[in-house]
Parts: sequence; structure tokens; C-alpha cells
Amino acid sequence: MSTLAERLIKLLLLAIACGGLYLLATYEHSQREAIRHAEVSLTPACTEKLARYGLESGEVYQSPYVLQRTGAKVTARGYSDDDVRAIQRGCNIIDDTQGRLASDPDRERWNTRRFIRGSHTACRHCHQSIGDKQDAAGNRLVGSLNLGASWAMADMYDRFTGLLLPFELRQMQCYINSSNGYKPNIADDVIRDVTSYSRFLSAALDMKIGNRYDEQGIDEIPASATPKQGDDYVRGEALYKHKCASCHGPQAFGVVDAEGHLVAPAIAGPNAWNMQSRNYFYYVSTILPGFICRNMPLGKENTLPNQECRDIAYYLSNLPRPAGDRQGPVVALVQQILMKVLPPLLRMSGSARGDEPRPGPEQGR
Amino acid sequence: MMKSAALAGKYRAFVVERWPGLSRNLVVGLTLALVTLPQAVAFSVTLAGVPPHFGIYAAIWGVLFCSLLNPSRVFHGGPNTAMSTSIGVTLLPTAPPFGAEYMGLALTLGLMAGLIQLMFYLVRPLGRMLDLISEPVINGMICGIGLILIFRSLTTFAGLPLNTEVEWPLWIAWQSFLAMLEIGNIYAIQIGLITLLTCVVVQEFEPLRNWAILFGIAAGTLYSQYLNATLGLQNTLIEQIGNLSSVGFLLPSLPLFNQESMPDVISILPGALTLALLGLFQTVAAMRRMSRKVGGFTDSRKAIFSDAVSNCLLPFLSSLPTCASFNRMWLVNKLGIHSRIAIASSALWLLLLVVFLAKAIAVIPMPAMAGIIVLLGANMINWEDIKPHLQSRHEATVFMASFLSVLFLDLFEAVLVGSALAIAYSKWQQAHPDISLRGNVLKIRGNIYYGSLPVIESMYHNALARTEEVVIDFSECYYIDREGIRWLAALKAGQKAAFVDRRTGRDRRDVAVGAQQRPGDTSVLDTNRRRQDRRRRTDI
Repeated sequence: MSTLAERLIKLLLLAIACGGLYLLATYEHSQREAIRHAEVSLTPACTEKLARYGLESGEVYQSPYVLQRTGAKVTARGYSDDDVRAIQRGCNIIDDTQGRLASDPDRERWNTRRFIRGSHTACRHCHQSIGDKQDAAGNRLVGSLNLGASWAMADMYDRFTGLLLPFELRQMQCYINSSNGYKPNIADDVIRDVTSYSRFLSAALDMKIGNRYDEQGIDEIPASATPKQGDDYVRGEALYKHKCASCHGPQAFGVVDAEGHLVAPAIAGPNAWNMQSRNYFYYVSTILPGFICRNMPLGKENTLPNQECRDIAYYLSNLPRPAGDRQGPVVALVQQILMKVLPPLLRMSGSARGDEPRPGPEQGR
Repeated sequence: MMKSAALAGKYRAFVVERWPGLSRNLVVGLTLALVTLPQAVAFSVTLAGVPPHFGIYAAIWGVLFCSLLNPSRVFHGGPNTAMSTSIGVTLLPTAPPFGAEYMGLALTLGLMAGLIQLMFYLVRPLGRMLDLISEPVINGMICGIGLILIFRSLTTFAGLPLNTEVEWPLWIAWQSFLAMLEIGNIYAIQIGLITLLTCVVVQEFEPLRNWAILFGIAAGTLYSQYLNATLGLQNTLIEQIGNLSSVGFLLPSLPLFNQESMPDVISILPGALTLALLGLFQTVAAMRRMSRKVGGFTDSRKAIFSDAVSNCLLPFLSSLPTCASFNRMWLVNKLGIHSRIAIASSALWLLLLVVFLAKAIAVIPMPAMAGIIVLLGANMINWEDIKPHLQSRHEATVFMASFLSVLFLDLFEAVLVGSALAIAYSKWQQAHPDISLRGNVLKIRGNIYYGSLPVIESMYHNALARTEEVVIDFSECYYIDREGIRWLAALKAGQKAAFVDRRTGRDRRDVAVGAQQRPGDTSVLDTNRRRQDRRRRTDI
């Protein structure tokens, strides 16, 4: 009798556990559904960008940008209310990945912070101007990591792995390496919404699948595009202290002001990209120099010569940063120790004391 | 008519007499086949990056070869998670997955692993090294694998795509759990839960115990068919095993081995070594654990031989390599049928299912399969097996180290970490013999060798500080190495130590009496012992 009672209790407990799991799942599903249908509060940059590109629901979509630039009325299939909200959420995620401008960051940004290590990373740090960087005249820039172009060109083989990676899987690489984090599930809204936004950008800029766009990726700087002096760590360090340290901090660990607002993101240390990112000079030596030359220093883009960009990138990649997820526990441990031990040592030795770098003559400050 | 009925009766009697419980064997075989099928499909497609028939042929021919070559009654080979993952990771840099070159290299990798395993069979000490994996290490691995199986099944359970890349497994598990709650396919979760509950409930009825998994799969499939009929597959989006009718009886293949592929073949050699070791470790560990559980013993060399030969043949049959599967062997044990007929029949069942019933098994929903794997994983974590290890601090440490290594590192590293700890502990214990000092008698229980000598020396000198002469009693010494003998000889020369060995004289007398009673019967052992005694006397 007692064994029968025991068995019944066991089965009952299991049934309760399964039922509880099911109820919890239905509750979480309903919460997600509510967010999907809720009004989206846009960040200021997204409000401006999406209004400029005329995003609204309707039967057809005509891009004001294309009309203004070419005079052609290109019509595409329009967007439903659900589509518009997905695009808006996607734009918010690119612009404000950590949810600093949101009232409820985890709900409004689909828990992006769950997939990112560190508190600095945002998509727009690399994909500048919310993935659509243009000059003052509205010209799209070469190698500006344009997300619309990335979506249109996602059916091409990845140059580094030789794999045909869908746009969703390319986002995974950003999460794992560029933000040193974890992969969301490919069916997650966080992936779908960013894809929706990128796809909308490609429609707004009239980019078509099968074409090659120079806006995609980085305007890479190989060693052959320099006077071939060789990349120099010491020169890179001097250049960094001179031109970059005022924003990114003496050890490139990023700067956060007294209220906790991010002034400049980390480009080394625990909040930066990891050693498997293509930004890492030893992994791909052409991408970070290209990014620096085209985008840095802010307000004075395209002023650094190619060799200086390579030197700075070389120096930055020698600073401690997290190990990639496939480099094993030993490398990870070594990097963690370096990131903890080096900063105080450097401060003590004085080599990183230059918090206030002296302005150089060419900076004219 | 009468004649044929009599013949049938005779035949039945012959079968029953020859193989009692053949029908039970066949039921167990069918259960095993149905459990292996989704694993074979999932391992080959999602982990190894090859078409599903690679895994299915491994589940057919790999299981069949192993059951023929391996005398163990609980050994179930076939495709394996860790091996499939290792193939995917090794080959990813060489060629795009699912391509002809990739598949050819996958076969080459399997063949090289088989040849390396053959070397482990031919060089006896290499094979013997594999026996150094202790029971706490194996049980720690089993518990870790059980948990990982549950975690890995969560996404399929919820009808979500699998996270396949190498990442911290526990984080993937937690993320998969959250994804299941937040974005999982609610119909898939219903099917998984129904399968799970049916299985557990049927298990409670003794006569139906062996049918539990089949009942569970049937219930899940029926519910999924009902959902698809009422709502439509386009709305339920339930993943099914899919049409395997293209998989035939036999598909001969050749590993890729030509001049152009040479650089790739050389670059995957370290991967082949890892694959070979991964397979052998699991095979030896799982077989030892399960054989002991059913009260049997199989020499691990036989298992190494069967794995090596199978893996040398399988690349010519379009198949992934084979090794022991912890979870399916656990199932064999759980079902209570320990026979090679059941195991061989699982391979034949699978062949029949794939060749003749491909359309029928195509509708089995993947969430139902995931439900079954969750149950298997939960069954592998057995408190009765864990409890004995927690009673000793040493064993508990080894157990926890190998358990946590499976979760935080991987299987291969778990074996290395656990075994290194276990060997270190046993060495440590040998290096600390039990020494007691009573009056001026120093009694040593244990070994006198280079490792324990410093401990003994320290005690000896302590004793010497108090008395003029120390008597060393090594009646309970098991082993003295040459360094120990030299030290003892030096003591004797120093005239400050006397030796007592109460055992030696008596032993000698016994041997002498035995020799007198049976003059022609002095065994080699006795002669050796006498010679050893004499040597010990002269050395000291």
C-alpha cells in the first residue's frame, strides 16, 4: 500500500512540475505577445531616422530618400502595423542596445543585456548612425558597415569562413565576439527585429539582393596601402596617447562619467570586443585600421594616414581583452588575470598616468 | 496442413528453448531503435555537419558490428554526441559542411580514428592506460552527461532551433530554458510533456515497463497528428523526423584520400587522435560501469578491438564512427534485458524501419523524441550510484571534479581532470604509509619506496632522537623498491637499527612443510618466494 501511495505521490509531483512548467511558459508567451503589440517609444535618433525614411504602415512603401536623391518613385510592398513596430524596436536595439534610454530596458530591448558581457557595447558603436552613416550631403559612405547593405548582401559567402551565413547568423557573430557575449536563439525576437530594421533600411536606400555595395563592411586597410614601414607598437602607443586617450581613457578601458553615462566605449579591457572578433588585429589585421581611419577621431574622420591607423590598431590589440569562446579556459583565465593586474601596475609605473594628454600641435587645441 | 502446423509448433518450441524471451528482446530492440533514430539524425545534421544517413548507418552498422565483435551483453554502440561534435569542430575549417569534400574528409577522419584505435589494441600498454579511469570519474561523467542531455534537448523539446556552436554549455542550457519559456512553440511543448508523462505513467505498470517509451512516442505522435489535422502543419509548425525514404539498405563509400586533399588530411590528424581517444574513453568507461552494474565483466581489450575494427569498416559504408553510448546503455540496463540479441535486433529494427516504414516514421514529432531524451538524462542521474562516492572525501572530490568538468569543459577534459586527480590521490596515499611508534618499535604498514621514504625517514630520525636503537617492523610492508632497500642497508650498516619481519619466517616454514608433503609439487610461485626471501635476507 505504501509503495502505491509513494508511486501516486511521485506521479502527482511530476504532473504538478510539468503543469507548472506549462503554465509558466504560457505566462511568458503572453508577456512577449503583449510587448509585440505595445506602442514603441523610439529613441530620439530613431525618431529622426525613421521619420526621414517615411516609415508608416500602408499598402505600399515609397522611399523619400530615393525620391529626393534620384527623382525616381520606387514603390515596394508596404508594412503592416506589426512590421512597423518590429522595425522600430530593431532601430531602438541598434541605437540603444543596453536600454539606457528605455524606462524598462529588459522588456523594451528584448533582454539584449542577457546576450552581452560588459556594460559598454552598443551596436551603433561600429554600425554608426544606427547602421546608416552618411555625410552632410546625404551620400552613403564607403565601408561604413551599413546594415541595409549587409542585409542585401547576406546571401554571399562569408569571406573569412567560406560559409554561406544568413543575416541572422551574422548577428550571432556580433553577439559572441564583438560584444563578447552569448548567442540568442535564432528564433528570438531580438534577432528578428534587427533583421526587420536592416531590411527596411535596404528598402529605404533601394538596395537589392544580388548587388554588391561598397557601404557594406569596412573600407579595409591592408599593409600594402601604407608606405610599408611596418606596423609599430611604440608608434601606435604614442599616437594613442596623443589622439585617442582623451576620450577612451589612458588604458583604453572606456570612460564613464560620474552619473554612469558612457562617454566613450572601451576598446580594450573587460568591456571591449574579444580576441576572436575581426576587430582584433592579430586575427584580421585590416578591419580595425579601416574603422579607425574612416570613423575616428569623432569630428575629424578621414584625417589619419593609413600607417597611423595600423599602428594604433596594432597597439590596441596588444592591450588585455577577453578571450574568445573557443580559445579555451586557460587563455580566458590568463586574459582575465591580465585585465585585473595590468591596470594598477601600469598606473603605479606611470606609463599610463597621462590621463590628460598634452595636445599636439596638429590638433590645434 | 497438419504437417505444417506441427512443423510450426516444433519451430516455436525450438525458438523458445533456444532464445527464451525472444519477444522481450525484440521489444527492447525496437525501443532502442526508436530512441537511436532521432539521435542519429540530430547528431549527424546538427553536430557533425553531414546528411542524416551518416548517423542512421552508424546506428545500424555500427551497432551491428559492435554487437557481433564485443562479447559484452550491455554494450550499445552507434552515433555519439561528443564524437559528432568533435567531427564538426575538426572539419569546419577545412571545407563547407554537407559538401562532397567535407563528407569525404569526415569519412577519412573516421578511418584515421579507427586506425589509431587499432594501434591502442595492438600496443597493449596503451590500451591498459585506458583502465586508469576510476569509478568516481565514470559516475561523475555519467551524471554530467545526463544533465547535458536534458539541457541539449530543451530547444528541440520547445520546437526551437539548436544552438550548435561551441560556447559555455551551462549558459546555453540556461538560455535555452528561458527561450523555451519565452519563445518556444507551445504545441511542441504540449507534445513533449504528453510524451514525458505517458512514459512515466506507463513505467509504473510492471507488465508494460519495457513498452513505456514506445507508448510515450505513440501518444506524442497521435497528439501531434491530431493538432496537425485540426490546425494544419503550417500553423502548428511542429518539426517531424521527416522523410528518410532516400536512405537505402547499403551505401558504399570511399574516404577522401588524394593528392589535393593531403594538406587537409594532415591538418585533421590531431582531430583524429582526439576522436579516437574520445571514443575509447567512453567505450571503456561505459562498458566497465554497466558490466559491473549487471554483475558481469568484459575485458576492455575486446571492446577496444571491436571499436577499432568497426571504425575501420564504417567509413566504407557512409557512416559516422561508433563508440559506446552512455544513455542507450543506461536504457538497456533500465529495461532489464541484457542480451546481444536485443542489441543486434535494434540495428535490424532500425534497418527495417528506415527501408520499409520510412513514411510512417516520418510523422514522429521531434519534441516527443526530445521528451524521451529528457527522461533518459534524468534516469542517468541516480542517487544510489552517487551516494557511495560522497562518503569519502577523496572520492567525492574526484567525482565532483569530473562532473563539473563535463559541465564546464568537455568530456575529454573531464576524463583527463578526473583521472589525473584519482591517480594523484592514490599516489598520495601510497606515499603516506601508516607508521606507528611504540616504545622503540617503528611499525610500517604500506610501501617503502622513493615517495614514502621521506615520511619514514622523518619518523625514524624522530625515534632515534629518543632511543639508542630503533627496531623497524615491516611485517605489513607490501613492497620495497631499490631505493628503499639501499636505505635499509645503510641503516643496518650504521648499527642503530634492528629489523623485524614476523611474517617471513612463518611463510618460509609453511612453504617448507608444503614442499616436504608433496615433493614433486613445488610451484614456481613457491620457488620465487623462497628466492625473494633469500634475496631480502642477503640485501639487508
